[in-house]
Amino acid sequence: MPANPELKQKVEELLGENQVFLFMKGTPEMPRCGFSMRVVGVLDQLGVEYGAVDVLPLLDPLREVTGELADWRTFPQLYVNGELVGGCDIVEEMFESGELAELVGAEQPGEATATPPQAPGKPQQSPPMQLG
Amino acid sequence: MIESALPGAEVEVVDETGSGDHLRATVSATQFAGLTRIDQHRLVRAAVQPRMDDGSIHALSIKTRQPEAGG
Repeated sequence: MPANPELKQKVEELLGENQVFLFMKGTPEMPRCGFSMRVVGVLDQLGVEYGAVDVLPLLDPLREVTGELADWRTFPQLYVNGELVGGCDIVEEMFESGELAELVGAEQPGEATATPPQAPGKPQQSPPMQLG
Repeated sequence: MIESALPGAEVEVVDETGSGDHLRATVSATQFAGLTRIDQHRLVRAAVQPRMDDGSIHALSIKTRQPEAGG
């Protein structure tokens, strides 16, 4: 199914306006997916300014858009300078190696750990989902 | 499947949940040279896409490496 042209244009505008832009499930204040939460955690540690959009209300239409723009259909997706950098795995890997800080022009925090310290053995849980 | 798409690749797959459909794949391939990470992941994902489409793999987490690239 082709992407909705208006939505695609809106997305292209957002990518043009925001050097760092995140498609995520939920909001930075209230992520609704563990992977989205981890990317937000990385961006917060970098102290970088970024735009974010919650994909949940428009999940399937946005999949079509990012599928066409970047050949990628799962979220989260982090874009820098309009280019898809990656999802959670890539973002964490590039954060730990310092590549992400370099890419966004931020200073690498002293102790770069992608996963914030937690009680050992505690399983990572998604926040409560809102249904309906 | 990944090996046939990326000849010579070293692939290690871990079944994260024991159910066989949440997998973590670490792939090391010379074909990754010069590619961004997202392009490396695109290659791996394309190789397993049929299994994603038919639902036999529900989630695949990918790590890519270049065999001789230090660090």
